[in-house]
Amino acid sequence: MYEAVHARPDGDATAARHAATAARYGYEGVVVRTREAIDPAGAGGGAGTGGRSSDADALREEYGIDVVDAVEIDADGATSASGAVGNYRSDRTVVCVVGGDDGLNRFAVEEPRVDVLVRPMDGSGDFNHVLAKAARDNGVHVEFDLGPLFRATGGKRVRALADLRKLREIVTYYDAPHVVSANPRSHLELRAPREVVAAAEAVGFDAEWVREGLRAWGEIAARNRERRSEAFIEPGVRRGRYEEDG
Amino acid sequence: MKHLPKHLRPRWRYLAVGIETWPDAALGRRAFQRALWYAAGNLLGDAGSADADLTLLSFSHGDGEGEAIVRARHGHVDDARAVIGCVSEVDDDPVGIRVRGISGTVRACEERYMGRAGGTSTQRDVAFEGAERSAVVRGDARDVRTGSGYVGAAAFDTE
Repeated sequence: MYEAVHARPDGDATAARHAATAARYGYEGVVVRTREAIDPAGAGGGAGTGGRSSDADALREEYGIDVVDAVEIDADGATSASGAVGNYRSDRTVVCVVGGDDGLNRFAVEEPRVDVLVRPMDGSGDFNHVLAKAARDNGVHVEFDLGPLFRATGGKRVRALADLRKLREIVTYYDAPHVVSANPRSHLELRAPREVVAAAEAVGFDAEWVREGLRAWGEIAARNRERRSEAFIEPGVRRGRYEEDG
Repeated sequence: MKHLPKHLRPRWRYLAVGIETWPDAALGRRAFQRALWYAAGNLLGDAGSADADLTLLSFSHGDGEGEAIVRARHGHVDDARAVIGCVSEVDDDPVGIRVRGISGTVRACEERYMGRAGGTSTQRDVAFEGAERSAVVRGDARDVRTGSGYVGAAAFDTE
């Protein structure tokens, strides 16, 4: 299971501290959402896989936990978000678009190059059946932000939970892909997978469904790594070991 | 009052809880118990909170690290775990919290899960983000003091 964290400068803990804590808590990997926190891993558009010793690899070696370089695109509108997706798609393993606005939510679910639409219900953002179908067709994962469940209180938490329930009903009905995260901004906000599952279960989520959402981060990372590896030509076509004979 | 016959006594589970804070936080036993009950009240409501019980049996904290034993009713362990996860701050100090394990007796809980503090913490200067800064060092963890409070770093960042 993976957790997607906000590392310094976006949060109060560095990527290394997040990785160390997550390893102790039993996660298999962390996705670092903050672009400035770690260098992009390995090959972009053909820079070769040879001389790669990026931050992510070094952290993986140090703490024995997978570290994924990601980016969160927080744009004002669909046009600038589209430009940013084009820029970062080639050098980041996981590309997320921050929702929270109807235009951005719509853009994110209709763009197959986006991996995850994060925090879709924040602010004025809303979700409906049209977006859910688009997300399913384009393979864009919708994030369930459990941050308010762990850290908010009172009316704010009630509204966030109501939004989560609405989102859950729509997303499960259309079987759109989903991811789950507590959006920790420091190692103190990180929670072990069993706690995340238990808390989500207490507010009506299905335990196995939540675990699936935590694992989905790892699946996205693995898929994108394979796509970016040199052997990959297009889906279903890869350069195999028969090359040398021919 | 006379003891209940054995089959009527409530059955308990004991949760070993690990706590982590910034080094300057001072957590008290009462404050932690209050935070626990508030979290339970907010998440489970009065009824669920009464069912789960969640009494603090032992508590210790110092230098940004602590541990506690929380008693919960048998059969409400998942609720208890959810509530413990939802304790995000105690007296405005943010806390990192996790359930280390669950036992059927206090003694087993203590023997198996307690007393593994991550070593002593010391204060020294470390190189962090191109400057010498004062930090509290505990094992691999480095809590670095910056202008706007502490930053959680690790040995990896300061070497």
